[in-house]
Amino acid sequence: MIKVENLRKEFKKTVKEPGLAGSFKSLFHPKSERVVAVNDISFHVPKGEILGFIGPNGAGKSTVIKMLTGILTPTSGTCTINGKNPTENRKSYVKEIGVVFGQRTQLWWDLPLRETYGVLKEMYEVPDDSYKERMSFLNEVLELEAFITSPVRTLSLGQRMRADIAASLLHSPKVLFLDEPTIGLDVVVKDNIRKAIAQINEREQTTVILTTHDLADIELLADRIVMIDKGSNVFDGTISELKSRYGRIRELHLETNTKNAEKALGYREHFHFSDDDLKVEQEGSSVKVRFNSDTVSVSDMLAYTLKMVNVKDISVKDADIEEIIRRLYRQGV
Amino acid sequence: MKTLKRISRMHRIFIVQELKRMMEYKGDFIVGIIGFLFAQANNMLFLWLIFRQIPNLAGWSIKEILFIYGFSLIPKGIDHLFFDNLWAVGHFLVQKGDFDKYLTRPVNTLFHVMVEKLQIDALGELLVGIAMVCITLPSLTVEWSVQKILLAVLVIPFATLIYTGIKTITAAIAFWTKKSGNITYMFYMVNEFSKYPVKIYNSFVRNIITYIIPFAFTAYYPAEYILKGENPLFNIGVCVLISIVMMTLGIIVWNKGIRAYESAGS
Repeated sequence: MIKVENLRKEFKKTVKEPGLAGSFKSLFHPKSERVVAVNDISFHVPKGEILGFIGPNGAGKSTVIKMLTGILTPTSGTCTINGKNPTENRKSYVKEIGVVFGQRTQLWWDLPLRETYGVLKEMYEVPDDSYKERMSFLNEVLELEAFITSPVRTLSLGQRMRADIAASLLHSPKVLFLDEPTIGLDVVVKDNIRKAIAQINEREQTTVILTTHDLADIELLADRIVMIDKGSNVFDGTISELKSRYGRIRELHLETNTKNAEKALGYREHFHFSDDDLKVEQEGSSVKVRFNSDTVSVSDMLAYTLKMVNVKDISVKDADIEEIIRRLYRQGV
Repeated sequence: MKTLKRISRMHRIFIVQELKRMMEYKGDFIVGIIGFLFAQANNMLFLWLIFRQIPNLAGWSIKEILFIYGFSLIPKGIDHLFFDNLWAVGHFLVQKGDFDKYLTRPVNTLFHVMVEKLQIDALGELLVGIAMVCITLPSLTVEWSVQKILLAVLVIPFATLIYTGIKTITAAIAFWTKKSGNITYMFYMVNEFSKYPVKIYNSFVRNIITYIIPFAFTAYYPAEYILKGENPLFNIGVCVLISIVMMTLGIIVWNKGIRAYESAGS
């Protein structure tokens, strides 16, 4: 369905010395250097899959998405959707895709929402009868009815996002790109939007590429994750693969009356944990211990803990994906 | 043929959309029109004050000069009315990354940008121009023929294309430099020279406005043919040719520019 092969993007960046004098100097003797934003990224997405595309800020996610949506021209490499290539025939390529940038709207700001759909219908040449059918479907899934006659500038962020997603789906695209579709939304709206995405994906086999910083989006929606950092692909696989590959982080919660539990417990000295494999936090009587269960087994940790301090209550749980990703973002891979 | 039909349909839809948008802000709309009429009246007063002192200029009578002035406002007004949004490309669309949305739509980007906005202020310019031509013509002794009437009408869309072409080229520079509003402004303002007979300028200015930034073809040269019947091959023919060259150049630079477009971080 989607094939991304050896995608690379370089930007030219003017190097300036600091201050007004530096800017002035650069006006006459511009110095520039090439910055590699995306370096040799490849992945495939089969039809109907929801792909979570993640990475820390500045990793090059947006640059990749912009190349895949025909906005930026790659320095080298190709991306194709059903054999169509945006650099060769942008117009026929973008007919197959729908795009939502959470930070920007593509709706006509000054006009009632309905008007935007009218123009997009013409732009994408959607026939009258399928337009009607489509609108009633999108209405049902995204609940647009309540504000479809309001000018776009008066919509709340949640309404606007739903309206934007509907706009991107009007022409029944085969692939939907969602760049941070839940940014700045409250929990209820986030939930609704996730449900709508899942519903559309299931009903129409729409392939979805989703970038987000809210890992709940990924856990609830994504079949697979592609993670990039510093412009390169660092992980490609399912969530369970991610969990098993990058160490089994477990969380130990305990209640104790020991004042300085970390010192009293002395995990690091006893088990020889490396810095990344252990983290202890204490707040009053409650202590949270994150550790890598590949280094030390859960039963060893439990037995040792119970021996060292006076424990009132104790529990162990799987660390969530957020913890894994946090570790990966912080240290690189 | 099919694409032409689609283009005109899209154009109509954008214009209707734009008219609806203006109705949303009635006060702003009305004040805009009044303001523009004032500005035009001011211009006319200035012209009248100057030409009252000068009975003729480089062999052109005051009425002929007013005709040239009026004629120059017609292509300028048409371009201003329909294709004003090109300014936004150089001012902020590229710099802020707002150009992204045009690239994700299955419509030619240049066409989309050009027709997205309607600059209703331009109606003032256009109406003043038409009025000046209509008022001066009856009192001028012009030999009319069918050919002349046809050519006089035909030359207007091509003269408009000179404006649009120059704006397109300079706007597209923004794809490399991020901002080019001032470049567009600098080139655009050269059109002020075209309101008067070209013969009053020295050869340097004359060559620039004839061959490099060819605004002289938007009024003076066509007027020379219309009023004096001189040299239609150059006055009209070259106008048509040069406008096509300008617009073609605009499209080429634009298409190259799109590939250099870098968007903005988000």
